[in-house]
Amino acid sequence: MSAPPPNSGLEAAFLAHRQQLLRFLQARGAGDAAEDILHEVWIRIATSGTGPVSAPLAYLHSAVNAAMIDRYRSQRQAEKRERDWSGVHDADSETSPEPSAERRLAAMQEAAQVLAMLNGLGPRVAMAFRRHRIDGIAQKAVAAELGVSLSTVESDLRTAYRALAEWKARAGGEAQ
Amino acid sequence: MASGETNRDETIREQALGWAVRTNDPGFTEWAAFTAWLEAEPAHAEAYDAVCAAVLDGADLLRSAGPANDGSPAEETRLTPAAATRRRWLGGALAASAALVLGIGFWQRERPAPFVIVTAPGETRTVKLENGTSIALSGGTRIELDHNDARRARLERGEALFTVRHDPKAPFQVAVGEDRLVDIGTVFDVRHDRHGMSVAVSEGAVQFNPEAEDVRISPGQILARAAGSNRYVLSPIAMDRIGEWREGRLTFEGASLDQVAAELTRTTGIPFSVRGAKNAGTVSGSVLIDPIRKDPGVLGSLLGLNVTPRGQGWVIGTP
Repeated sequence: MSAPPPNSGLEAAFLAHRQQLLRFLQARGAGDAAEDILHEVWIRIATSGTGPVSAPLAYLHSAVNAAMIDRYRSQRQAEKRERDWSGVHDADSETSPEPSAERRLAAMQEAAQVLAMLNGLGPRVAMAFRRHRIDGIAQKAVAAELGVSLSTVESDLRTAYRALAEWKARAGGEAQ
Repeated sequence: MASGETNRDETIREQALGWAVRTNDPGFTEWAAFTAWLEAEPAHAEAYDAVCAAVLDGADLLRSAGPANDGSPAEETRLTPAAATRRRWLGGALAASAALVLGIGFWQRERPAPFVIVTAPGETRTVKLENGTSIALSGGTRIELDHNDARRARLERGEALFTVRHDPKAPFQVAVGEDRLVDIGTVFDVRHDRHGMSVAVSEGAVQFNPEAEDVRISPGQILARAAGSNRYVLSPIAMDRIGEWREGRLTFEGASLDQVAAELTRTTGIPFSVRGAKNAGTVSGSVLIDPIRKDPGVLGSLLGLNVTPRGQGWVIGTP
């Protein structure tokens, strides 16, 4: 048994860097919930029985970061639902929420808009975004695939992210 | 000072975009620097979250829209390469770049200079290849590597955990019997013995027989094939079971006595054989290797088996 056990690497990193992770959570805006969130993330990792990972500390930061993004997203979605509901309620009182087919159609239209927007940024930008964010390919690998440098991929992604952030900000503005 | 405020917000958003790009890459390691940026101002976290959420929302929408983009032929034409890559990783990657195809062709023409690494039963060993790729070999394992091609391996028998640095120009390939595995940036465990083969993925993904079945094995999945069968079964596997032999643990799920004896021999270095019918009953359970090495008799209570010493080894059977 010369090789270290795969999971103990993660646990050792968690125990050794607990303070660092808490500090990161504080910086991410977790406030009083930092301890709870860290606990939840660790329980999830421990019970899902994550297999061997190549860089445990980065993996833990990444998991904690994803949990914070999730939190932000679900808060926003809850706010949006509330707004949507009151909107529907005002226009057409007493009716149930709009049928799912209609909602699906709306989602498809929205998807087509996002697609058109990304394509409008250039085929390479759209391709880099798709490969990295939909197919889950690492940026370095995307760069090799497209035959460009890593910094080109980073800048393409930045362009795509900027457009999406603006799209979201616009959508939020219209809703309010 | 309205324009000053706007400029400041702009600056924060541009910084947030940069961090959103970098932190969402699996290779990102500068979490301390990211923490420092966040700590500089509370508005940083808010801006960062807004970007990340917008990107996730956008990606979710694209994913739900599927590869075919009905309703807008112009978009579909432009997106064809991307849509194709999504359906078939390999085909897409090749379509994406003709230069890449040439690259692979050239790399394949390199003259092979194979060498073999063997571990004795009960022995484990880790082999480091170039660029942070490593292979951990379990006991009783024989693997063939190539001096002229660090991106190829053949698992002849036994079990090995591969931690592979992905390079799309030269995907890491593992031959297992007649089967071929192509990594997509990954940690995976491969087992191959006379009972069959299995591949379990812990991180990243592995493409199984890209020219034939072309099955993608994702984290938490195991693909298995019994020897002599051409049926492949893809099923979920608990992540902590993948490469568990490195923690000194073995898990059997409906394994035959013959299989159990072979695995125990390979991992403990103590010869185990089967008494009576080799296929009488199946064994399920999890055991630690070290205690068995000290006293194979404990198998009796652990797996509900009859265990008796014979010569240099031990004989297992159903009670």
